[in-house]
Amino acid sequence: MLIAMTSLTALADVPRPKPKPTETPKQANVIDGRLNIYIKKDATEARLVISQDLIKPLRAQLDEMDNDNDAAGSLTKGDSGIFGRVQTIVSGAFLSLAIVFGGVWFFRSKRAADTRVKTVVMMIAVAGVASTATYVFANAGPPTTIRSITGKIFSEPVRNYGYAFGKIKIETAKDGGVTLIVPDVQDAPKSEE
Amino acid sequence: MCRTLPRAKSNALQEIRHLRPELTSAHYLVAAFVSACALAAVLIGSAPLAASIATIFLFAGVHNFMEFRYFVARMPVRWGRSRLYYSVGIGGVIVLAVCYLTLYFASGKWMWSADSWAALTAAWDTAFVLWVGMLFYLRGRQRPRSDWSWAFAVVFLIAALAWAAPQYWSLSLVYLHPFVAMWFLERQIRRTKPEWLRAYHACLATIPVILIAIWFALARTPDLPSDTNLFWRITQHAGSEILPGVSSRLLVTTHVFLESIHYFVWILLIPLVDRRAIPWRLSEIPLFANAKGAPKLLVASIVVSLLIVAVLWGGFALDYTTTRDLYFAFAIGHVLAEFPFLVKML
Repeated sequence: MLIAMTSLTALADVPRPKPKPTETPKQANVIDGRLNIYIKKDATEARLVISQDLIKPLRAQLDEMDNDNDAAGSLTKGDSGIFGRVQTIVSGAFLSLAIVFGGVWFFRSKRAADTRVKTVVMMIAVAGVASTATYVFANAGPPTTIRSITGKIFSEPVRNYGYAFGKIKIETAKDGGVTLIVPDVQDAPKSEE
Repeated sequence: MCRTLPRAKSNALQEIRHLRPELTSAHYLVAAFVSACALAAVLIGSAPLAASIATIFLFAGVHNFMEFRYFVARMPVRWGRSRLYYSVGIGGVIVLAVCYLTLYFASGKWMWSADSWAALTAAWDTAFVLWVGMLFYLRGRQRPRSDWSWAFAVVFLIAALAWAAPQYWSLSLVYLHPFVAMWFLERQIRRTKPEWLRAYHACLATIPVILIAIWFALARTPDLPSDTNLFWRITQHAGSEILPGVSSRLLVTTHVFLESIHYFVWILLIPLVDRRAIPWRLSEIPLFANAKGAPKLLVASIVVSLLIVAVLWGGFALDYTTTRDLYFAFAIGHVLAEFPFLVKML
């Protein structure tokens, strides 16, 4: 096992792939992010506030640009977002296991022999699940219009709701400042539900 | 009647004698512990980066040696009916430590994408919590009329949280590790110095108070400088990237404060309550004193451990930043080794 692990660290005899000559157009450095837009009466101008956890990879990309290295940043290499889905599935599976094992243990234990204790615990469990469901709004999502960043974000329904959100790609550029580009769609996208 | 009067007077005097406040070693423990913690909080809060550098330089290696020495003293010559427990415990320490180091040193390699690295790290976290759960379960089986299978429900819940928020899970390990030392001390006091137990609980109760005082004092202070690699590593280790809205001065102070208590516990307090943990008292260690023990191997391992402490000091003196990174990578071994011995004491 030690040898196997060491070979992993040393990358065994797998050769590093030869760098291919970069052809134009160069691959853009892309970071997956999320954007919230609030429509506020007291705001005088639109602002894009980037949190520190986004600044770090952006700074790494700027460092790459400084070194005249236009290849895609290693930070996002292979970051296809698959882990996010795996994360949710595995986390949910473990949560289910916790509930099952906890329930089995409780009903096998001596404490469960007392009907009153059993009733109280079941009530607490139901109340806990119900509260959590209320907190996360179960699967009742907000209107479809506000769940995507499109040309509709400034439409009447979104203005009535007060905010919109959706996925966004963040790119780095040598100049041009920070630009927000939204697709111009005629109809609201179909519901994901 | 005349005979009862002197007896009553004597009883009253005895009662007065009992009521007179008497300073015991437990009172001294509370006074010393609280004073030391308060002083440490002030000093660390006024210079967190310097305190972090100094405490790690001075105590990191020494506390690892003391921990190793303590575990050696607790290791039985024959595992007997605990064979399975110790096999899972020590086997888990070796496997998990090797996997951790592999992940650590391979993380920057070109073959590893961010996804694969995150997935493997989460898998390691899962293996770690399942291993701890297994230790609890095996320990529960050794105790008569007890069912510790609840441990599985708890570790599955923790695994779910570790997958849902891996960064917070990693940070929580950094902050929870110092408390393991305090838990060890509590178990040890129960065994060898029970007259200190209430006093020690009082000491533990003061820690949240001091932490709240630190947070009140430093909540609005500006971040610490992170312009050098070392400073950035210290602030990042304390969670400044994961909690960007919290002052890094507060985070580093909290972390160094807890780490200092944990060093203090291992180096001073545990040998104070357990004579077998005093480094030079080898005659009371089963592995040394027992006819079936391995005294030469034990002495050799202690000498090697002392040499590692000296090498660590030399490394810190030559290149503090690199040695610090290497130290914290290999320190996972002692973090893992604590669990089998702690769970065994429950």
